[in-house]
Amino acid sequence: MYELFKDLGDWLVSGEQWTGPDGIGHRLAEHLQYSLLATLVAAAIALPVGLLIGHTGKGAFLAINLASFGRALPTVGLVVLVFLASGLSMWPVYVALVALAVPSIVTNTYAGMTAVDPDVKDAARGQGMRWHQVLFQVELPLALPLIMTGLRLALIQVVATATIAAYVSFGGLGRYVFDGLAQRDLVQVLGGAVLVALVAVVLDLGLSGLQRVLFRHRPA
Amino acid sequence: MNRRTLLGGLFAAASVPALAACSSGITSLDGGGSAGGGGGSSKDGVTIGTANFTENQVLGFLYAAVLEAAGVKTKVRPNLGTREILIPALKGGDIDLLPEYQGALLHYLSPKAEATEEGEMQNALAMALPAGLQVLPYGMAEDSDAFVVTQETADKYGLSSLADLKKENGKLVIGAAPEVKKREVGAVGLKDVYGVEFKEFKSLDSSGPLVKGALKKGDVDVANLFTTDTDIVANKWVVLTDPKNLIPGQHIVPLIADRKADSTVRKALAELGNVLTTADLTELNRQVDKDKKDPEDVANAYAKEKGLTK
Amino acid sequence: MTIDWSWIGDHTDDLTTLTVSHLQAALSAVFFGLLISLPLAVVAHRIRPLRGVLLGLSNVLFTIPSIAVFVLLLPVSGLTRTTTVVGLTIYTLVVLLRNTVEGLDSVPAKTKEAAKAMGTRPLRALLTVELPLALPVIMAGVRIATVMSISLVSVATYIGDGGLGQLFTDGFQRNFPTPVIAGVVLTLLLALVADALLVAVQYVLTPWTRRRA
Repeated sequence: MYELFKDLGDWLVSGEQWTGPDGIGHRLAEHLQYSLLATLVAAAIALPVGLLIGHTGKGAFLAINLASFGRALPTVGLVVLVFLASGLSMWPVYVALVALAVPSIVTNTYAGMTAVDPDVKDAARGQGMRWHQVLFQVELPLALPLIMTGLRLALIQVVATATIAAYVSFGGLGRYVFDGLAQRDLVQVLGGAVLVALVAVVLDLGLSGLQRVLFRHRPA
Repeated sequence: MNRRTLLGGLFAAASVPALAACSSGITSLDGGGSAGGGGGSSKDGVTIGTANFTENQVLGFLYAAVLEAAGVKTKVRPNLGTREILIPALKGGDIDLLPEYQGALLHYLSPKAEATEEGEMQNALAMALPAGLQVLPYGMAEDSDAFVVTQETADKYGLSSLADLKKENGKLVIGAAPEVKKREVGAVGLKDVYGVEFKEFKSLDSSGPLVKGALKKGDVDVANLFTTDTDIVANKWVVLTDPKNLIPGQHIVPLIADRKADSTVRKALAELGNVLTTADLTELNRQVDKDKKDPEDVANAYAKEKGLTK
Repeated sequence: MTIDWSWIGDHTDDLTTLTVSHLQAALSAVFFGLLISLPLAVVAHRIRPLRGVLLGLSNVLFTIPSIAVFVLLLPVSGLTRTTTVVGLTIYTLVVLLRNTVEGLDSVPAKTKEAAKAMGTRPLRALLTVELPLALPVIMAGVRIATVMSISLVSVATYIGDGGLGQLFTDGFQRNFPTPVIAGVVLTLLLALVADALLVAVQYVLTPWTRRRA
């Protein structure tokens, strides 16, 4: 075990490991690209849905079931299915990652919206605010902490799962995991795993920092 | 979260097995099956492991068919991974028998082996194998590694042999299974023997949809395929010749744990080896890949047709 | 992308075997996950400083790609079911540990004081008062962990196990959608049925929550 971690240290700091198409720098950039793009697309789909369900109170049943459905969807199966339909392209990766991220964002956004005190909403309407003003000026700011939790959860899952891109010939840090498996090179596998975990933790800390900044400007 | 806690987490992950190892009795893959790897003679059954490509699964089920006909209980574990994963599993007793390929196995065990003739390779294998494992006599059928380009690429760069690749050093992209990057019969040997250096090595799969798809699309210029793959002929791809004999003969050879290699097992596998030809194997692969038949059904039907089983 | 129904008809036995194997792996993982996280949760609930450490650790484990965990276990447990179950168990911990701790936290202090005042011993109070009251939150965790494990089993196909996941690699290698579709549908069904059964179990185990609702 000690040897493995010593070799991991050597692997992580060796210069050649960081350069070229299979270098950590390039793989890291690919991994970030897959993860961030997928999470952004998922947010663009899931945030409006969650806000709408939360605002109107309709479709809550759908939102909750979507979450358990999404959790049950086997990512490997989805990737293969889209691969067979679309051939060698990035579609399998993005479809699977977006499908993974959407449920966490929808349910948390919905939960955040329902947690807003109905009296506050009534008061806003009583002041003559239009529905969109209530949504964006009252409900959204109050629901923000839970919405951010959903985004953070989605991002962590996506970063860990973006590893799968390597299964369908693409890059990212998963390349080290899949290549290491095929070559039975455990140092490479561990290196890939540690880097993925590190990216997830760093991005999560970044988002929670952002959340704190947003909180500070929130009307009390 | 700092590095120390992170690594601490990994340590915790790695130390859980000690806790869960005691559960293996309940959760063992073997279930109630009588054919468990790891112990006893062939009378306790033989577990056949196979690699992550069609042909190896066909071979695994062929082994199973002839062994069952000889009264040996078998269990086939399909799609376990690469040689790099399978051989440690064989040593560890998770599996007992593997369909292997002479030259590729030899170069895995001793990368700088020089034997090229079948008999020499058989002797070299016997020397190179770790204690407890042996190869049985090799069969007629052969499946080599091939480095393949499209007709278009061959014309464009004037490629007909592996030696021709050198003049395009640093320009071409090669696609192959990830393990080929580190293998002698692969990127390492191409560099050592032919002085070929690629612009990029793309990790794909073993003569599967990724590497063939990438070759068709032009994502890779050179692809590592198997000579028994019918898509080579179907697509009129060009197999680069190997004037310096980098790619050794690849007769199919059973690799087995000593304790399972009794006379019944040896006789049954030898009979199969003397019947199965390269053309037969290519056709069986085609039935699985193109006709979507089960490797097991294809193997059983073949064994019956050839009178190897009743 | 068409479904070859005759293939499905010819493979009902195989599909059944894989489904059973799939479920067995997932349920074993939840079982061992509970076995590990219950005592850890009690520790985390009682000893505050350990709480952040334990929850943080389980969070970090969650960020490691599951494929990597399976591969890293190979030198220890080889190409066996044990590798699959241990790997999956690690992923159940994050949900089970968190929910169990939160469940224990949700027990009102007054209730605990009452138990103490009546002279109930700490262990007995834990087993007869705190854990039962924490059950709804714990069960919510068990449901998530079960569904998650059922979805995750298929990743073990990369180390030659993986239950229904074997249909994915098979369909992939042969450009054959039917087994893949069958695998995805069966996985979803398995998750939905398991979740419904757990809801029923919870209903039976916590009669008091019904009266309150």
